[in-house]
Amino acid sequence: MRILKRYTLYAFLAAAAVVAVFPFLWLLSTSFKGAEELFAFPPTLIPAHFIFENYSGVWNAVPFSTYTINSVIIAVVSIVLNVLLSSLAGFALARWNFRYRELFFVLVLGAMMIPKEVIIIPLYTTVLKMKMADTLAGVILPFAVEGFAIFMMRQAFLSIPKEIEEAGIIDGASPLRLWWSVMVPMTRPTIATLIIFTFIGTWGDFLWPLVVLKSSEHFTLQVGLSYMTGTFVDNYRYVAAGAVLAVIPVLVVFLLMQKHFERGLFAGSTK
Amino acid sequence: MECNFTERHQVKKSVPYLFLFPALGLILFFNFLPMLQIFYYSFLNYSVFSESSWIGTGNYVRLWSDPNFWWTLGNSFLYMLVTPALMTLALMLALAVRRAAGGGIVFRASLFFPVITPIVIVGIIWRWMFTEDTGILNYLLASMHIPPVHWLTSYPMNAFSVMIVTLWRGAGYYMVIFLAGLAAVPKEIEEASILDGATTFQQTRHILIPMLKPTLLFVFVVSASAAMKMFTEIYVLIPGAPISNKALVSYLYQQAFERFDLGYGSAVSVVLFLMTLSFSYVNIRAMETRT
Repeated sequence: MRILKRYTLYAFLAAAAVVAVFPFLWLLSTSFKGAEELFAFPPTLIPAHFIFENYSGVWNAVPFSTYTINSVIIAVVSIVLNVLLSSLAGFALARWNFRYRELFFVLVLGAMMIPKEVIIIPLYTTVLKMKMADTLAGVILPFAVEGFAIFMMRQAFLSIPKEIEEAGIIDGASPLRLWWSVMVPMTRPTIATLIIFTFIGTWGDFLWPLVVLKSSEHFTLQVGLSYMTGTFVDNYRYVAAGAVLAVIPVLVVFLLMQKHFERGLFAGSTK
Repeated sequence: MECNFTERHQVKKSVPYLFLFPALGLILFFNFLPMLQIFYYSFLNYSVFSESSWIGTGNYVRLWSDPNFWWTLGNSFLYMLVTPALMTLALMLALAVRRAAGGGIVFRASLFFPVITPIVIVGIIWRWMFTEDTGILNYLLASMHIPPVHWLTSYPMNAFSVMIVTLWRGAGYYMVIFLAGLAAVPKEIEEASILDGATTFQQTRHILIPMLKPTLLFVFVVSASAAMKMFTEIYVLIPGAPISNKALVSYLYQQAFERFDLGYGSAVSVVLFLMTLSFSYVNIRAMETRT
């Protein structure tokens, strides 16, 4: 009976894992197929002939490298801004007593509750007025700091023992020095979590970049890919190759840092 | 928790504000100001190309008699049907994974792949699998002698196809949330129930699930409001479908960014905001009763 239960358990998990992973394998397989095999009947999971042309094809047919560079720029700048600014704010909220501190904290929590989708129209008009429409800056700036990040950094600073900080003060460090060289290094695990979250969030972001970016040379990978599905409807192999290339960075980051990722989810669920 | 300095350690009064200013300034300007603007815009006849003018409740009157608004609003509620399925599946996965050897790390990682994959790519993958005459799904059905399904070309089947994708992508995410909730259940309670001779099912039903109530509620609110805000899946999976098959955010996007009717789009945004606000309200009330 016990053993039977064990088998059922693993059978269920294995089935779920197969369903979760199969679509990726199918994408990967398609990206290596030639035109004649794409619609082969019956379909083949492992291509009879591996072809790499789809990858060079997508690279040359659309400004794929430009899309990639744009996505990287947006991700890196967003990560730096989000981590730095939320760390500064979180530090102040956690460690100092000042007027309106509670109000500011409530504002941070309130910002977490405003859905992006709701405010996208006024954000667009604002970005237009700031002459940042169709620029990467226009994509980055409105979401450069997230309430969630400030909240997480505040929690991280709250958990650092006071003695460590006081030692820093006795050494005569300025507030900025104290923050940067004593406190920030102690929040490394939280920063790692934030980096992954911001990376995955900005890399996969779609609606806002779609609204802001109009010309192909400014597209991110996601916007570029979505346009490709329109123009290459009859060349799914290119789209598949492009999708594989665009998903690799996310998988690599995830596999390297799975622990930090789950930690961040836990923080989100127990807030 | 208070972590104040003693008197002699107090920094200059302006310092905390300087630390806060960059982040808070951005949040006020790019989160709270637009929140006010959206209400204001919704009373305007406002197009990108011309001067705006005050039309009072004109946009709302128009919404009231606009069938596409009601269709897309209704679809947004339809998409919430995925929530109970998603919660059940995620909870089952969480209960199973924690019993697997080594915390089921391999299963956990594979179930999490879909979560971190950008939605556009998820949509591309599934749209290909949903293709009707050549797609792998209809091929699998055919091999079981089941007639082909119009996954993406008939309503409401296309809405259910979008839900299948939501389920596939979301299960791993909510599973991890449930795992966190389960980890918080005191070991003693679980062990005591085993000593009392409870079966796994009894233990799950009477011990674990009641203790998971706050997590269940959190997951419900998050997944239901995610369904309400759905856009990208629909944009990539069924771009050619009529707007009446799509959801509220699709309608907002169409009105504001394809027809450039920003005032009318803002009225749709206000409705969306009120919907999501009611979820936040439920969430906060739940958190209050929890503590």
